[in-house]
Amino acid sequence: MDSRAARSTGVNETLLAPAAQAPAAADIAFDRLYRSSRDEVYAYVASMVRDRAAAEEVTATAFERAYRKRSRFDPGRGEPRAWLFGIARNAALDELRRRGRQAELAAEPADLTAAPAHESAEASERRLTVSRALAALQPRERELIALKYFAGLANAEIAQVLGLSESNAGTRLHRAVTKLREACDGAV
Amino acid sequence: MEPFEDDRLAAALESLRPTPGPAFAAALDERAAAGFPRAAAAGASPWRRLAAWLGSIEPRRALIPAGATALAAVAAITVVVAVGERGGGTRSDSGGGSLLSLTGESPDGGGDDGAKFSAPVPSIPSLAGAPSQEASGSAAGAGAVAGHDLGGRETGPYASRAPHRNVERSAAMTLGADADEVADDAAKVFDAVHAYDGIVLRSSVDGGDGGEASADFDLLIPSAKLGDALAAFSGIAEVRARHEASDDITAPTVRVGERLRDARATIDGLLVQLAGADSDAERGEVEAELRSERRRAAGLRSGLAKLDRRANLSRVSLRIESDSASDSSGGSGGWGADDALGDAGHILGIAAGVALVGLAILAPVALLGLLAWLASRAWIRRGRRRALD
Repeated sequence: MDSRAARSTGVNETLLAPAAQAPAAADIAFDRLYRSSRDEVYAYVASMVRDRAAAEEVTATAFERAYRKRSRFDPGRGEPRAWLFGIARNAALDELRRRGRQAELAAEPADLTAAPAHESAEASERRLTVSRALAALQPRERELIALKYFAGLANAEIAQVLGLSESNAGTRLHRAVTKLREACDGAV
Repeated sequence: MEPFEDDRLAAALESLRPTPGPAFAAALDERAAAGFPRAAAAGASPWRRLAAWLGSIEPRRALIPAGATALAAVAAITVVVAVGERGGGTRSDSGGGSLLSLTGESPDGGGDDGAKFSAPVPSIPSLAGAPSQEASGSAAGAGAVAGHDLGGRETGPYASRAPHRNVERSAAMTLGADADEVADDAAKVFDAVHAYDGIVLRSSVDGGDGGEASADFDLLIPSAKLGDALAAFSGIAEVRARHEASDDITAPTVRVGERLRDARATIDGLLVQLAGADSDAERGEVEAELRSERRRAAGLRSGLAKLDRRANLSRVSLRIESDSASDSSGGSGGWGADDALGDAGHILGIAAGVALVGLAILAPVALLGLLAWLASRAWIRRGRRRALD
């Protein structure tokens, strides 16, 4: 029996090629981060820039920047999602700064939050009330709400994105939510 | 409608969450899968494309090529400098007993003083304008004194319009030779000096019984033949050091010439005055004044002659020395370990100098760049902080 022939059995180029082109660990981690955060990043950015086209552009820019900097991410300095949202925040603020659109933040465009077709009247009314109350908040308060409820970040992650302590971020978030609830209750 | 409890509020906010359109999501997925390729910037300016390219470079990955480029640049400049040094007036000998270096200084810095040369310098026929004639009242002689056309031309103290420049040149050269060849090389120096109509002011030859020999010469070489004479000296032995200097002495030459012309004109006037003197007393007074003026003219002529000698004869300080290190290492003057160490130290010194000069140039640029970058970062952060206010 020829052991050499037996060893060669089943070995082909399709097995060798992926091994030679194996993606780096940073690429794998980034791909996972992208898949888990794409919609949340868009939601957060859209709540910041208040424009669908700009939100799409800023979201793409944020992911591209993150991709270019993926090898520089240091896990010891925080969570990957917080790092990604920090990049997205800077991209959104750059867009706001560039276009000078701070004044437009008070108005919420309807196309960003289209109502579901089968929504009940009460739900529709509640949704509209919350939307108006949200629009009445200060931009920084609205950003906290977006990071918490649109992006789904934990308080520690929000603190890292905003450069605050966790307790400070929690306090500010609590105040923003309380203010939003009071505005909604007042509308009722 | 019921009050907004936390869960109801969260549900309402969840329903308000913006969602990306399917087309955008699909396009973004595609770009992510492709590794976010850069869009073709057809209309982008070169600066914008350069900035985008620079921004895409990861600092850590750029360090190695940047360091390699800097190292290659230092090495290339070092080679150019080292080769330039060896090519600068030195010759290579297959015997190779000496290392080449460039040092030395001018033995005589020169100046404006007309009596700079204190060594006895014999006059030579080629020296124009070393007139020995007494002031005879000839205006033509004053105009052409010392080979300078001074008559009728505007010549100021700085001689900006001087017809030609009077330049004093000097040179110093050190030759290296085996100890037993120093005497023969010294004889060749005498031959070369005579071949170029030069003058040996001083010479000293030490036979070198103890293994080291040397010869020193102070020479005067006609300035017009200085280059050829130095080339001839270079051919006698290895050139270890060579230095040349020049000093423009046109201004003092013109100034002394003008004073001499004035003195001669005064003498002419006094002679006319003497011819027309009516009394002995008046004649005696004019003669006394004439003697004084003639003494002054003689001093000026002497000064002018010295200035012209400085311009026409170049002083050369030549030394031949044996290389005891080479003799002790190889006997026949071969290139040895000590020479290698010396050359290595020399090359390293050049490399260090090049690196130092490079740092001196790059450090301020880098500092300015750093300050600009910090200012830019501060400006961007300020803008981002104010974007939500």
